[in-house]
Amino acid sequence: MNTSTTSFSLSELNGAVKAAIRESLPDTYWLRAETSDVRRNQNGHCYLEFVEKDPVTQSIVARARGIIWSNVFQMLSVYFEAETGQAFTSGLNVLVSVSVDFHELYGYSLTVVDIDPSFTVGEMARNRQRVLKQLEEEGVLTLNKELTLAEPVNRIAVISSPTAAGYGDFHDQLENNPAGFVFYTKLFPAIMQGEKSEQSIIDALERIYLHRELFDAVAIIRGGGATSELSCFDSYLLATNCAQFPLPVVSGIGHERDVTVLDAVAHTRAKTPTAVAEFFITRVTETARQLVDLEDRVVRESRTILQKEQSELFSFSKDVVHVSNVLLQRESSFVLQMGRQLASSAKRIMERGVHFVSTNEQYIRMVSPENILKRGYTLTLKDGKIIKSIRELSPGECLSTRFADGTVLSEVKTSTGN
Amino acid sequence: MEKQTYTQAKKELEGIVNAIESGDLDVDALTDKVKRASELITFCKEKLTKTDSELQKILEDIS
Repeated sequence: MNTSTTSFSLSELNGAVKAAIRESLPDTYWLRAETSDVRRNQNGHCYLEFVEKDPVTQSIVARARGIIWSNVFQMLSVYFEAETGQAFTSGLNVLVSVSVDFHELYGYSLTVVDIDPSFTVGEMARNRQRVLKQLEEEGVLTLNKELTLAEPVNRIAVISSPTAAGYGDFHDQLENNPAGFVFYTKLFPAIMQGEKSEQSIIDALERIYLHRELFDAVAIIRGGGATSELSCFDSYLLATNCAQFPLPVVSGIGHERDVTVLDAVAHTRAKTPTAVAEFFITRVTETARQLVDLEDRVVRESRTILQKEQSELFSFSKDVVHVSNVLLQRESSFVLQMGRQLASSAKRIMERGVHFVSTNEQYIRMVSPENILKRGYTLTLKDGKIIKSIRELSPGECLSTRFADGTVLSEVKTSTGN
Repeated sequence: MEKQTYTQAKKELEGIVNAIESGDLDVDALTDKVKRASELITFCKEKLTKTDSELQKILEDIS
């Protein structure tokens, strides 16, 4: 078998593929794909991977190398960022115009010549909606919002890049709060942009979780740097971690235009790190106000009660005088009355006595010997003694008989018993 | 732990304020309650304005 006529060298075959591709795909084509592994070399050329993922399994079903030449990339990247508020980076769904190339040595690649940022804007919004819907279906979307902020909320775990200006602003704002409230902050450093930020922030949350009793809230902040890159804050994984975090999360990731998924699940969303600090200061101020209110009520109410007691006491003391006067008058009139009753009773007793005496006098007078003699009875005496029986007398003895008007002397002749 | 104390203190304080405002307290009880309320207020105010160096140290030591 003559191999030279029936077989290709690799360069011959690759050359044939190149020619076939150029012939059948001669134009530029609009391509929908996700960016991956975006990087720039020293010359300013941008190299990346385009991938397509299965919408359900998220496994990669197609892949192609891509390149954006330096002169094109300089224009496109500025345009893209201005339109989307998002740097051209990995993990973005993009609509790019590409030419299809095949190189004998480097193989298949897509060269980007144009980009449509509005597609990415729409994709980002769609992605947010999709993540939010998923979180809602899983019942975790509002979990963090449902947490009650502690009182006072002054122990704050901060997730930030340690060098970010925004972190400094946040810290200064809290430190210099005008009322002099005390705040405790602890930085849990994280990478706040780029592909690694999602995992880095989740790691920071996990570290905070280990010390969760020491904190009242988590602040996720990022200085409003020149390059804004929001896609990591639309991540499902980060969002579901934040939503289910046991402490309230306050976001301040320094962007004005969009509400990211993180903002949507956070307990409270502030625009900038400074605004997050203001939020905490406002909360503590409110806590302090409530305390002062309670204090005022204690003072006011107890004063009112004491005043009432005093006035009651005063009226009691007046009552005491009044009541004792009344009692005294009642007693003295009772005594007076008693005196009068006593006098009249005594008089009655005396009168009764007098009557008794006079009645008895009459009786005594009636039964006196004088009266009996007057009624015809006589009294017989011998030797001055009253004689009551005939046995006391013998014949011949002398006896005297007393009448009312005088006495008769006589001699006993005989005596006869009854 | 610390926070719960603030919350508890506030709750107790609110209870006292309600009791005072209900007007059911006699003067002796009132005196006790006002004294307790004053302690609680002092405690809460300190939580807001006085740095707890122990807590600060603990936070610094977290790696």
